[in-house]
Amino acid sequence: MDITEVLKELCSAAGVSGAENKACVVALKHLRKFADNATMDKFGNVTAFIGDRSNGKKTLMLEAHIDEIGFIVSYIDDKGFIKVGECGGTDRRLYAAQTVTVHGECPVRGVIATLPPHVNSDTKKAMKAEDIVIDTGYTKEALGKLVSLGDRVTIDSRFVTLKGTRVSGRATDDRSGVAAVLYALSLLQGKETDYNIAVLFASQEETGSRGAKIGAFNLDADFCLATDVSFAYTPGCKKEKCGEMGKGAMIGVSPVLDREVTEKLKKIAAEKEIPVQFEIMGGETGTDADEISTAKNGVRTGLLSIPQKYMHTPVEVVDTGDIKAVGELMAQFAMGGAL
Amino acid sequence: MNLSLLERLTTICGTSGNEQAVRDFIISKLPSDCEKTVDNMGNLIVTKKGKATPKNKVMICAHMDEVGFIVTSITDDGYLKFTTVGGIVPSAVFGRRVTFGEFTGIIAERPVHMVKGDDKDKQPQIDELVIDIGVTSKKEAEELVSLGDYCYFENDFFLFGEDRLHAKALDDRLGCMMMIEMLNAEPEYDLTCVFTVQEEIGTRGAGCAAFTVNPGFAIVLESTTACDISGSDDENKVCCFGEGAVVSFMDRSTIYDRELYKLAFKTAEEIGVKCQTKTKVAGGNDSGAIHKAAGGIRTTAISVPTRYLHTASCVVDLADVKATEKLAAAMYKKLCEL
Repeated sequence: MDITEVLKELCSAAGVSGAENKACVVALKHLRKFADNATMDKFGNVTAFIGDRSNGKKTLMLEAHIDEIGFIVSYIDDKGFIKVGECGGTDRRLYAAQTVTVHGECPVRGVIATLPPHVNSDTKKAMKAEDIVIDTGYTKEALGKLVSLGDRVTIDSRFVTLKGTRVSGRATDDRSGVAAVLYALSLLQGKETDYNIAVLFASQEETGSRGAKIGAFNLDADFCLATDVSFAYTPGCKKEKCGEMGKGAMIGVSPVLDREVTEKLKKIAAEKEIPVQFEIMGGETGTDADEISTAKNGVRTGLLSIPQKYMHTPVEVVDTGDIKAVGELMAQFAMGGAL
Repeated sequence: MNLSLLERLTTICGTSGNEQAVRDFIISKLPSDCEKTVDNMGNLIVTKKGKATPKNKVMICAHMDEVGFIVTSITDDGYLKFTTVGGIVPSAVFGRRVTFGEFTGIIAERPVHMVKGDDKDKQPQIDELVIDIGVTSKKEAEELVSLGDYCYFENDFFLFGEDRLHAKALDDRLGCMMMIEMLNAEPEYDLTCVFTVQEEIGTRGAGCAAFTVNPGFAIVLESTTACDISGSDDENKVCCFGEGAVVSFMDRSTIYDRELYKLAFKTAEEIGVKCQTKTKVAGGNDSGAIHKAAGGIRTTAISVPTRYLHTASCVVDLADVKATEKLAAAMYKKLCEL
């Protein structure tokens, strides 16, 4: 599987929290190569099950979230300018003059209005989400036929490859995780596993891990390996709070994560020489793992993070080598003996 | 108006002091019966014989350069530090892709999750940002980039809404496009068009070109700030979309010739195109250098109202572009005969 190509396709589809449909369609297309029964539920979760519930094996769920941050149309003023609310934690510092797509009856392009340096004297203050006005070039009347309150908005961004093995684009949080799970499934194809494999690409992570709670209940797994992005070091950050890009999967260590699963991940990484680093947290992880681990009567959960730079911007950067490491570790865990 | 020509013109990169590629492209689009000179500064001066010799020599002018970025240093872990060439607000820079031609860079800073307390209200300034090209060491970066290299906003040229155009560098490739079109037509009077350099860093090229041409009158074709966005009250809108060409009475660089100012509005009325003025004394353009050159040159500026100037997302209303073109051609004729 060509990780870059799959990731590019995944990132090119919009899927703001609660409106993940387009991204789900792309994910389903790839997931069906490994599981005929892959489907999408009413909450925007993409799920699949590989195996047989009656074979006595326990179920391991591989999880990543499919939604991305964005905006939701909340008001259209008399001149046709659009006001929005946030879906997830967007980065205020980059709103000005971004091109956006409003996902209405058809995609409607626009620009977040801003004042130029010739008339804007206060360049030291970051914009606020409530200051956003989107200029679509339409009158209110014309726009009313194309856009409704509640439509989602994404900041436009082209998926680009950088030097080395790095790529940049919108929504690599967490389509990188989706790509890692798909890569794991490609490695497991035709192989004997020690678990039944369930797959969950969860909706609404960015607004509070809501899809994961629903999906984890329905898939009824015993174990879970969740994958999300985490912080890679960039200038201005504290080194001790970040992973390092290109240095492999970040194994999460936290009270909310199952210690035996975590230890097994460490052991497998060492045996199979898969590059890993560690992310130690004192409590909840801020990922779907928090909700999954407490779903039903509890799911024994491990967390594998992909180091990412510039999280929640349209120019997020990930290293495809790190995605590969997460996928390999998931696959080896599934084949590495039942816990 | 020629949109395919404009797309090519906005896609080519050329900031102040690095206008070579823009100039070469413009020269390739000019007819063979023009006389073309490149002066010491890099200004391109083009003359074409018309059907008649005008009473007054009139120079039309637009600038070739656009705002951009210049690499100032490279960090040990391979990030590029940079500064802007021309006025770009920090908020229009953060979270953008830039192109070096052969490869792409990302302008960013620490993630928003790691910004705490009062810093959340602060816009990171240019010197706090870095360009990330994907390499991991200074050595790797140095193989690709030299200090002083330029990079640019990526161009996303598209039509949207009701006859709106989005692109980078519309300031002032719109003016360049208009002059290329004029030179490719059969002018009534002898025509002098000047494609200037270094407007964005202090209107440094136009004065030298005006000295060489030494015209009686000058018309500057520009794009100017439209602030007619939601939340702007009337006096702060500066100029508005759909109200036609903009003729200024004063900006930060020039107090414009009063007679020419009035003549522009009269001419617009005669030919039936919309014309407006700037309701704020703001900005400046090559007029500032031209009107003081060669012992004084009577100058008028005719501009296209443009939203989000000096960002990757310049936006114009095509109806205003057409109005500006028509008014510029009519004013040229009027000044030739004045």
